[in-house]
Amino acid sequence: MEKKFLQTSIKDSLFTGLIALALFGPIVGLRTVAKNEVLEVHPKWFIVLIIVVVCAVGRFLTNLYVYNRDQKTGIQSSIGKSISNFLDTKGYQIALTAIIFSVIFPFLPFTDRYLMDIAIMMLTYIMLGWGLNIVIGLAGLLDLGYVAFYAVGAYSYALFAIHFGWSFWICLPIAGIFAAMFGVLLGFPVLRLRGDYLAIVTLAFGEMIRILLLNWYQLTKGPDGLTGIPRPSFFGLPFKSFPDEGEQTFHTFFGIEYDPMQRIIFLYYLILVLALITNLFTIKIRRLPIGRAWEALREDEIACKSLGVNPRNTKLTAFAIGAMFGGFAGSFFATRQAFISPESFTFIESAIIVAIVVLGGMGSQTGVVLATVFLIGLIEVFRDFESYRMIAFGGAMVLIMIFRPRGILATRKPTITLEKSSS
Amino acid sequence: MSQKLLDVENLTMKFGGLVAIDNLSFSADKDKITSIIGPNGAGKTTVFNCLTGFYKATAGSMFLNKENERLNLRKFSDFKVAQKAGVARTFQNIRLFPQMSVLENLMVAQHNKLMDASGFTILGLFNSPSFIKEEKEAVEISKYWLDIIGLTHRADDDAGDLPYGDQRKLEIVRAMCINPHLLCLDEPAAGLNAKESAELNKLLLFIKNEKKTGILLIEHDMSVVMEISDHVVVLNYGKKIFQGSAKETKNSPEVIEAYLGTEE
Repeated sequence: MEKKFLQTSIKDSLFTGLIALALFGPIVGLRTVAKNEVLEVHPKWFIVLIIVVVCAVGRFLTNLYVYNRDQKTGIQSSIGKSISNFLDTKGYQIALTAIIFSVIFPFLPFTDRYLMDIAIMMLTYIMLGWGLNIVIGLAGLLDLGYVAFYAVGAYSYALFAIHFGWSFWICLPIAGIFAAMFGVLLGFPVLRLRGDYLAIVTLAFGEMIRILLLNWYQLTKGPDGLTGIPRPSFFGLPFKSFPDEGEQTFHTFFGIEYDPMQRIIFLYYLILVLALITNLFTIKIRRLPIGRAWEALREDEIACKSLGVNPRNTKLTAFAIGAMFGGFAGSFFATRQAFISPESFTFIESAIIVAIVVLGGMGSQTGVVLATVFLIGLIEVFRDFESYRMIAFGGAMVLIMIFRPRGILATRKPTITLEKSSS
Repeated sequence: MSQKLLDVENLTMKFGGLVAIDNLSFSADKDKITSIIGPNGAGKTTVFNCLTGFYKATAGSMFLNKENERLNLRKFSDFKVAQKAGVARTFQNIRLFPQMSVLENLMVAQHNKLMDASGFTILGLFNSPSFIKEEKEAVEISKYWLDIIGLTHRADDDAGDLPYGDQRKLEIVRAMCINPHLLCLDEPAAGLNAKESAELNKLLLFIKNEKKTGILLIEHDMSVVMEISDHVVVLNYGKKIFQGSAKETKNSPEVIEAYLGTEE
């Protein structure tokens, strides 16, 4: 039995090596270089050899330790189990530590401009992940066009702020409402669709919005983008190094030196608060009838209908509320960048947000944070390796799916328990 | 004679050229159990799907008589039959929300009531006292039904983790949580052992006698049908071939012929 198993896994890994050779041979091995106006082929067989050996050995090892059902002490069961136990039982503590850490983060000694920028970017993704979690994680509607609402939020904020000169705090809810309206707009035609079909239509919707922004030149300036989006002010006090005559700015009001970091720190806290509001709202609404109906709809739509739950309203609210938070995040993005163009709202953004939600564990709020830190952090760590960072990104996803097939945090806590409500 | 709870008159359902139900008329009483039996493919589940709004009947009428109104079920589309008319159903293959807890399953059944109490979510977000009170009551109702089927100790477990027999019972009480006038059960005894079938009979008799809810039952398990039915309707090829009491049905030559074929 043991010997036969070894034999089949060796065979299997050799076959894997063969596939790797067929794939990477032409892609990596044959490199064309233009020399003296002639294309020359520079073979790089050594690298191909390394890749093939890594694939074959890796396959062999996973066969032995991960997929081997006889071996109960395989890597998957031991490491996977200890990680999952830790994450499942300590979810609350992890969340609390993360919140405390993120509050004091700007004032830690090693925090510099670069880290702050990354932190702001991560928080934006976390907020988007939490927003999309309502649609995908709770209501089970696979939305691949979420970036459309991000774009609608960003553009409506930018247009209102530029043309009407309204402040951030007025434009923010407007942008949210606009995004929610687009959520309903998307929701209506896809009410009857599910799974793959829904994914395709939402994907197309995301592209439609982007192309609309690209071509409606009179309104959106098309590919040139919108410039001069007003920066947010600290309750009316702008962040400026040289204030106009008689103008109060943040640093003159508080009587401190001007420092460009002040605005960055303010932006950081702004997105932190926005993200936490998203989180609290989601935690609360999950326990309300509408949240329970979303989850029920994800589980079984026909059963929902038989119990008198209105699937149309339930789906539309999920789309609208998810989109609204996307819109909030979009207006934050616009005010931070001060410049937006359709370039920023491509499909890859949607894909990253979906990846964050799925890898985090559908419906898990803490999981979204962990997945964001992991994925975005990894992209940043590998920034110096240029094109290899996408390999790291993909590799990370594969690893999570091997060790935690249902996402980093997969356990779901009931929204209401008998013990608590009867005591 | 008391007024019938459900009057089905000349119900016809066609799928293209196939006539699944052919001019079917029957009625069901308020505190009686009416069984619909028949060989496989006789159109029993189709009758349910028409009644509960999952299919739009081709012709005919279905009236539900409440205390002071007479509702035509054909006018309601899918979820409204449960919401507005109070017709609940279960499914041949159990349709619980497997990854939600047992209690949550029963809370979803009380969705419409709770949704109103939560002021379409807005009052609920701010923990309004009226919503908290309504939610507590909903939990009490859930607990009442869980006590009856003896699942209170598993209220916080995932519904999908329950044994098969318990899932069947849970689906039935979940349907009861919408407080229906008519309960349609599609093969509730399928896959149950003798002990579980007996418990099921007890549950159905309790619903009939204590809750005064009319029950419409599709069933293949004759021990269940014969023991608890007050009235039996026999279908074959979408047509009603017999109706009467359980005893009459057992001895009817037409029914025996439909099930076993004719002697020749």
